[in-house]
Amino acid sequence: MSDDRTRDGYLWSATGAPDPEIARLEALLAAYAHRGTLPPLPVRARGHRVWRVVLPALTAAASLMLVISAAWLASASRNADPWAVQTLAGTPAVAGAPVDGPSRLAAGQVLTTDSESRARIAVGQIGRVDVEPNSRLRLMRSRPGEHRMALDRGRIAAQIWAPARSFFVNTPSATAIDLGCAYTLDVDASGGGMIRVTHGWVAFEYDGRESFIPAGAVCATRPGFGPGTPRFADAPAAFEQALPVLDFTAPADPRRAEALQRLLAAARPRDGLTLWHLLSRGRAEERTTVYDRLATLVPPPAAASRDAIARADRRALDAWWNELGLDSASWWRVWKSPWRE
Amino acid sequence: MADVLTTLEFVADGSTAIPVAPHTERFVAAHAADDGRLVSAARDGDRGAFASLYERYARVVHGLLLARVGPEHAEDLVQDVFLMAWRRLDDLRDPAAFGGWLVTITRNRAMDFHRRPTDFVELPEDVPVADDPSQRAEARAALDAIRGLPEAYRETLVLRLVEGLSGPEIASRTGLTPASVRVNLHRGMKLLREKLRR
Repeated sequence: MSDDRTRDGYLWSATGAPDPEIARLEALLAAYAHRGTLPPLPVRARGHRVWRVVLPALTAAASLMLVISAAWLASASRNADPWAVQTLAGTPAVAGAPVDGPSRLAAGQVLTTDSESRARIAVGQIGRVDVEPNSRLRLMRSRPGEHRMALDRGRIAAQIWAPARSFFVNTPSATAIDLGCAYTLDVDASGGGMIRVTHGWVAFEYDGRESFIPAGAVCATRPGFGPGTPRFADAPAAFEQALPVLDFTAPADPRRAEALQRLLAAARPRDGLTLWHLLSRGRAEERTTVYDRLATLVPPPAAASRDAIARADRRALDAWWNELGLDSASWWRVWKSPWRE
Repeated sequence: MADVLTTLEFVADGSTAIPVAPHTERFVAAHAADDGRLVSAARDGDRGAFASLYERYARVVHGLLLARVGPEHAEDLVQDVFLMAWRRLDDLRDPAAFGGWLVTITRNRAMDFHRRPTDFVELPEDVPVADDPSQRAEARAALDAIRGLPEAYRETLVLRLVEGLSGPEIASRTGLTPASVRVNLHRGMKLLREKLRR
């Protein structure tokens, strides 16, 4: 009965202790997963007359994309490789066997470290991941364009030098998507996590909820909620106390109002990163309060009117983001477009 | 309510009958409001907005196609479905219903593919699978076994085992209720295990 529950739990949530038979099927079948990209889109036009002109060009473009995709896939399939594992301390284990020399981690296999051991993984040709003590990590997929692992518990430190959105780490409550960066990621026994970015950018995503985390910032995640709101590590102490309340409590929780007031009172212009994320989270009255405070710290451009922000209009949000002194929104929008979870 | 009853009947029955509910219920995606905003922007020519919709639904579209056509054709048809959706965005009456609309386009495109010869340039048979021939054969056998299951199960299992979506993600992106997805996964996996052990 408990075996059935474990199996069904993993089958349903794709997290936690994997059922070996399901994990094996996942590893086998991953090769058939979607790997394409959005084809070039023609100029949108209304009416059939225009399409008589556009359609032949569109068909030609699609055919060209297919030929290019086929060539890319043929070349890409030659480069996929298991990950090399090196012991840094103690005796880590791959698939239950102690690592006492050069070893490899293949898709579907699990690497574990106990309280004494650490390991380093070479992620294909794109970077490396140090696995700290008391960690459990699975390699889900490794192929050109998508290197994906799952951190069930513990801590990893990742340094990735591949193009953005090539390296993904699934946790029980969010997926970390590399945008060209270095970071540490912790996952606790409850499935909650914390990411600390030391270089570049990371996106944290779960079921449509996204956080963009630059170097020097941290962001928590919790099961059932997904990623919280990022803050700079040097943000006032009120941020560290208030954000768990704002991110991981029900909208009607009575502690929210005070938490928001404390956070906004302590906010600096640099904390626009946090306030910008809060513009599209929480209750409507909370978002209005955030709008007013952020407007005093970083004046909104004309496009970011109160109404547009209240509607969570993406162009308005992007326009205000561009005033924060961080990278332009268009930068991560471009990288974001072909993401796969 | 009708869906809940259907699910309960299905579980109590214990047979391998296909639950009707997954294909008859109304689509209510968890992302519906956001989809609506993206569709409106895409109608105005915002390619980035459409790219966001692609990012959200491409694996679902691919999975639904893979449940019906060979893997050598699925990627081609994904592109075809999204180009068709881009062209016909103005036909969509309720922008928030994009997910259900796209699922319908996908199923129709797969049926159309089987009905008449396609003018697509076909990709070679060697879709990138494992280098090891025995693993390659095993992967294909597993995929074929899933594709031999009743439709409701094969769609859900392809989305879970091939595309890597979790149960809640499948529910939110296909419009099936979580209860239906859970039942389809449970029953489908049981049937798949039996098939693979034969």
